[in-house]
This record gives sequence, structure tokens and C-alpha cells, in this order.
Amino acid sequence: MSAQEPDLKAYVSILEQTLATAKEQLIEAHHMISVGMLLAGIVHEINTPIGSIVSNNEVTARSLAILKEQLDKAQADGAPPPPKAAKILDTLINLAAVDKIACERIMSVIRSLKTFVGGKTHEFRKANLNEILQNSLKLARCEFRHRIEVETEFGELPEVECDAQKLGQVFLNLLVNAGQAIPEKGKVTVRSGLEDDSVVISVADTGTGVPPEQRSRIFAPGFTTKPAGVGTGLGLALSKEIVEETHGGSIGFESEVGQGTTFFVRIPVSPPPKAG
Amino acid sequence: MQREREPTVVIVDDEEMVLTSLNAFLTLETEYTVESYTDPEEALELLKKTPAEVIISDYLMPRMNGIQLLAQSRELQPEAARILLTGHADKQSAIDAINRVGLFHYVEKPWDNAALLLVIRNGIERAQLLRNLRSKIHQLDEAHANLKNAQSQLIRAFL
Repeated sequence: MSAQEPDLKAYVSILEQTLATAKEQLIEAHHMISVGMLLAGIVHEINTPIGSIVSNNEVTARSLAILKEQLDKAQADGAPPPPKAAKILDTLINLAAVDKIACERIMSVIRSLKTFVGGKTHEFRKANLNEILQNSLKLARCEFRHRIEVETEFGELPEVECDAQKLGQVFLNLLVNAGQAIPEKGKVTVRSGLEDDSVVISVADTGTGVPPEQRSRIFAPGFTTKPAGVGTGLGLALSKEIVEETHGGSIGFESEVGQGTTFFVRIPVSPPPKAG
Repeated sequence: MQREREPTVVIVDDEEMVLTSLNAFLTLETEYTVESYTDPEEALELLKKTPAEVIISDYLMPRMNGIQLLAQSRELQPEAARILLTGHADKQSAIDAINRVGLFHYVEKPWDNAALLLVIRNGIERAQLLRNLRSKIHQLDEAHANLKNAQSQLIRAFL
């Protein structure tokens, strides 16, 4: 028996390693699924400014040609520039301003998206959780559109040693869940603040609430009340894993049927030694 | 009577940038009167008073969506061509809309200016034809009533 013990230990350690890798892959896959589910909203968010830019570009090219023709003609005749030229110039200035806003809109969505899918560098670094929350909110808003009003109350936060990409997933997951808990129109309130030596983030919705009989199972892998294609049943299980195992924090919720649910995430400012 | 004014195109989108772009494009390429609104309610107010040939609406807007707006504008101006301009990826809702509010056309964002202008031109033509048709039917009805009147007077004269 004792001769086999080292073999068993090695075997267990291989299994543990395989499990850890599988978990990482599961988190990654789930994350891609959740971003994929937001894709329709993101496409919508980007299509509007792109439509504007494409149209403005055509109008600008045409206007510049007309402007050039008019100015050339005026110059040849020794006449002052025609009044229409000034009008065209005003339009062009206007369109350039619109293009700037449109480009900023697209860039901001892409920037948020990049923080979620930018490589697999899951590493601990100092980050501001408010910024991570903002990026998650930006993507969630694409989905919420006019259906859900978002209110934010962000407190001053110290930088926290964390895996920003994974925490972004947790926040996005909680926000999307909050949106899905609201049947028609409602409100999601996101708060952040410092309590003792932890940053506390809360996501509150005015949704249907979690029925008491489901509360004990809500973090269990595979548990979902959503139809197939909407929920994977892994979001909260993986969020718990990321918050508790990776960051040494805690996650919990309070819910009242018919009133709504609030999720709390607590992340210690200094990570426990084993984290990372 | 309809020839006295330029065709009116009403555009409704909660995104100011879309209105600016379409306005600049239509002003450059056409002589149409362009009325643009970020608020669907205000657009409906205009439609209560002013005839329009084409109504273009975004789908997702606060308070009222594009299909609701186009449904209400149909009540106000049945001849106007209704166009849904949307970045919404849900094709099914557009198909439902075509059936429910009698959409003239469905255009996806990002839109193509040349294609959109063609749709608008066809829409204007359709609206003008429908209005002419209605006025001809009205004239026919009047002529028919006059004829009936004359007929009964004739009958009375002979009796």
C-alpha cells in the first residue's frame, strides 16, 4: 500500500491540475458565450454611428467637389465666393463634428469589448474596480437599451490587486442577470464603496426576485431558470468561483419576490497570499 | 394641388447623429422638405397638421418604438410611405412590422445612401399616386352624385 502511495499522490496531483485547467477553460468558454449573447446589442450600438460615418463620408466627398467647382468658377469670373459655398462649408463642419462623436461611440464600445476578450493574460494587477464596472456596464447597456434605466453610485476606491478580466466577467454576468430578471421596464442600480479592508460592489434590480425555494441552489453549477439559449446555468457558479477562489472575496444576495434582487460582491483590497 | 410643394420626408431617430447625416444627404441631393425629430411624439404632432410623403423611423427609441410610431402615422396619413430604418438585428420583428403596419420598406443600418434615396423616391411616387387616386375617386363619387341628381331631376321633369 505504502509503495503505491507516491503513485496515487502523483495521480491526484495530475487530476487536480487537469481539473484546474478544465475550470479555466470553462470560465473562458462561458465568458465567450456571454459576450456572444450581447452581440446583437453591440452590433446595434455600432451600426448607428457607422451608418452616419458612411453617409457623411459620401456627402462630404460630393460637397467638396461642388465647393471646388463653385470656387473655381467664382475665381475665374473674378467674383466673390457664392453664398451657397458658405452653406456647404457649414454642413461640412457639422458633419465633421458628427463623425467625431460617431467614432468616439464606436471606440468606446470596442475598448470595453477589448477588456473582455483581449487575450488570455489572466494575471493579477492593480486596477480600479470602478473602471472595470464601467466597462461591463457599457456592454450591458447595449443590451438594456431603453428598456432598463441604469443608476450608478460609485464611491472612491483604492486600487485593488485583481484579475481585471475575470472580475469584468463577474460584473457583466450580474448586470445581464439583473436585466433578465426585469420582465419589461425597470431599473438597475450599481453601487461601489469601501467597507473596512474590502471593496463592495452591489448590483440591484427591480425584477421578479428569486423564489425562496430556489435560493439555496442559485450558485450551483447548471442551475438556471432561463430558457435554453439564454442562460448556461454557469454564470453565477463561475462568478462565485472567481470571487471566492481567485480573489479570496465573497458573493451573496438579498431578494424579495416581486421587488427585486441585490447581489453583493466583496473583494479584499489586498489579496490573500494564495490568490493569483 | 400636390405639385405646389416639394415632397416632405419626415425622419425620426433618437440619435441626433443619424438625423444630421440624413438631413445633410437629402438636402444636398434633393429638393425635398426634410423634417427630423428625436422625439416620436413631436413627429406625430407634425403629421397631424402637415401632409408628408415618406416617414422614416428608427426602431428602438424611448417611450415609443418605431413600429408603434408608424402604426399611428398610418392612421393619420394612410398614403405616406412608411420606412423602418433599424440597426436592430432582429429580422423577425421587422417582418412582423411589415405585416402589421404595412411597411413600405425595411432598411438596415448602416444604410447605403444611394439605395435609401431610391426607396425614398419610390415611396414619394407611391404616396403621390395614392393621393391622386384618392382625389380621382372623390371626383368620380362627386360626378356620380351629380349624375344621379340630374337623373332624378330629369325623371321628375318627365313625370
